Amino acid sequence: MGILLLIIWLIQDLLYLIVFPGLIVAMVLVILLIYLERKIAAKVQMRFGPLYVSRKVGGALQSISDLLRFSFQEFILPVGSDSIAFLMAPGFMFAFAMMPLIFIPVGPYYSYLFPSTLTILFSVALITITPIYAIIVGWASDNKFSFIGSLREALLVISYEIPLLLSVIAMVIVYKTLNYIPAVAFQETHLPGIILNPIAALVFIIVAIRSTGRFPFDITEADSELVMGLYTEYSALFFGIGMATPYIELYALSLIFSLLFLGGWWPASGHATGLLAGLFMPGVMVIIKAFIVMIVLVFLRAVYPRYRVDQAIRSGWERIIYLGIIAVIISILEAIII
Amino acid sequence: MNLNEKVYDISEVGSIEPEGDREIVLQIGPAHPGSGHMRIKAWMDGDIITKVDADIGFVHRTSEWLSERRQFIKAIPIVERIMLPDTVHANLAYVLALEKILDVEPPPRAQYLRSLAAEINRITSHLYGIGLFGIFLGSSTVYMWAFGDREPFIDLMEMLTGARITNSYIVPGGVRWEMPKGFKEKAESTLQYMENRFNDYNDMWVKNPVVEARTVNVGVVDRNRAIKLGVVGPNLRASGVDYDTRKASPYAAYKDIDFEVPRMDHGDTYDRLLIRIEEIKQSIRIIRQILKDIPEGKIIADSIYSQLNPVMKKVFEQQQRVMFPAFFNQMRPASAESIARVEAGRGEIFFYLRTSGDKYPYRFRWVTPSFRNLAYFTDVAVGYKLADLPAIYGSIDYFPPEADR
Repeated sequence: MGILLLIIWLIQDLLYLIVFPGLIVAMVLVILLIYLERKIAAKVQMRFGPLYVSRKVGGALQSISDLLRFSFQEFILPVGSDSIAFLMAPGFMFAFAMMPLIFIPVGPYYSYLFPSTLTILFSVALITITPIYAIIVGWASDNKFSFIGSLREALLVISYEIPLLLSVIAMVIVYKTLNYIPAVAFQETHLPGIILNPIAALVFIIVAIRSTGRFPFDITEADSELVMGLYTEYSALFFGIGMATPYIELYALSLIFSLLFLGGWWPASGHATGLLAGLFMPGVMVIIKAFIVMIVLVFLRAVYPRYRVDQAIRSGWERIIYLGIIAVIISILEAIII
Repeated sequence: MNLNEKVYDISEVGSIEPEGDREIVLQIGPAHPGSGHMRIKAWMDGDIITKVDADIGFVHRTSEWLSERRQFIKAIPIVERIMLPDTVHANLAYVLALEKILDVEPPPRAQYLRSLAAEINRITSHLYGIGLFGIFLGSSTVYMWAFGDREPFIDLMEMLTGARITNSYIVPGGVRWEMPKGFKEKAESTLQYMENRFNDYNDMWVKNPVVEARTVNVGVVDRNRAIKLGVVGPNLRASGVDYDTRKASPYAAYKDIDFEVPRMDHGDTYDRLLIRIEEIKQSIRIIRQILKDIPEGKIIADSIYSQLNPVMKKVFEQQQRVMFPAFFNQMRPASAESIARVEAGRGEIFFYLRTSGDKYPYRFRWVTPSFRNLAYFTDVAVGYKLADLPAIYGSIDYFPPEADR
């Protein structure tokens, strides 16, 4: 009986990590997101966007064709690079971008991987690890542009991590828990987090844009200044992994946003039993919300140019951090009232 | 002569050694998304630029050498291909210099058609500059918009001249084509379209807070410094100098046309963006006046027309286009020299032409606006940050083939 439970536990965890909402769903969403990003930006910019690959479905297979192209390109290892770090860092970066998904539940019963009551803390802590590998990438490439890109990444990470933590702390104070499932339950009985503390939501969104390198904070990869920023020396699949990593980060951050601020699985509240209604419907609801957040964030590409690095750092230390402190104060007042 | 004598130490030319421990040298280009066809060497102290050197000549096309070995009329396509976003002005500058030597005065209608083509071309040239400035700051939307909005004007040029970019429209003594039927209506609708688009540009680009943050007080050049550095065109007027060749020494139909020369005060990157939009508005105003006031008459000078043979005269009467007889190639102007100045999209073109009685020019020399604005660029970027380099570079609207000639 014990062995059977262990096997069920293992299968469920593998499904969770690899299929839903893990690797496969994440990759499909990222491919779809890149297609939509290009298509929506093209609509704003009076052009067609991806079209000629799979013309019948409006060029939807363009991202897959790009992925295949990256897979079969020649990989070039620069002579002066630190080869081990150069080869390993993108993989670690991708892995650490995926890792917060372990602690992010997409349903009240569908999260047994690491039974913990500190899931919010762990997932946010894991998100802050990825930039370290971005800095290693820039250092290992032996390229001045990559190096400047990694310095910019380091400066920006330092100035935007504290607002991220402040915004999450604000919500933890309101929900009085460090676990996602009671946090969502709190929002079901009261109000969604975005109404309870809109400033914390704003700070979280700004930090999400910043840490995934969306416009107007597309500073580490600014092509007119730094060619391709961190990934200047990369080619083939390593370049593809490097390009996909911010989207995976965006996926994780959007999931956290939809759990903390948008009521999680709220209309499809998992009280029903059964495989479909009890396990998958809440997950689908969370992912739909997260996907809408992702589309809004990538749409900013069509609206904003990019800030200068010193302006972004200054706004981080002079504005966003105070917004974060205000969000915490609002939460403390609410926690006293509720 | 000792062939082994060292006349030029090549190792000194490309010296890029950083000065001191803090400096690094960035070689931006020639294969870099933010450089164009040249190499910008930037000496950096941290994030601050301490010195900029522009290494140009990657797209040198020997236009002067080629033109000195061809008949006079064949230099028109050569000068056009140097300034591709701005072909009419290059064409016009050369033809004005040649007309002074040939002593031909084009009829008033041809003068108006020249101004019309030049102003349509100025709009396309400024839109080209605005678009590239957009992509340098990271806004792909403005890049696509400006290049998309350039299309209706290029279509107008196609309707007027038969070619989209390299028109070769202006010839000694006049222009090659009469204004086609329906041109006025199409031009008016195009101008109205562009005027409506200004609101979109304001919302998305000019009033965008990120653009203001990136450009205001960046790359400031005050009035005296701009004059000292020999800046020309919109960049000079952005620094507050009221100088425009169209007013200073009018050519084509500009002395009959009422227009203003827009001017800014501050001379920063944002002013250099605004002045291009203001100049597009003035060009629209000029085009409206030309379409209203254009006189009737021939499009080619009588001295040229009288030399056409009967077949060509018949073509001219029926199709309203000028075909040149082959002996035009054998034209041998008397020994003389002349200069011409034209206000092109990026600034003043200076043209010097000397003939020796031969069928080729003896000396063919021109100075293009981008070349004169380059000195300005290397001077102004010092002291600003690395991220300001593309902003300043984009705002001066530098076109490398034009500078290299």
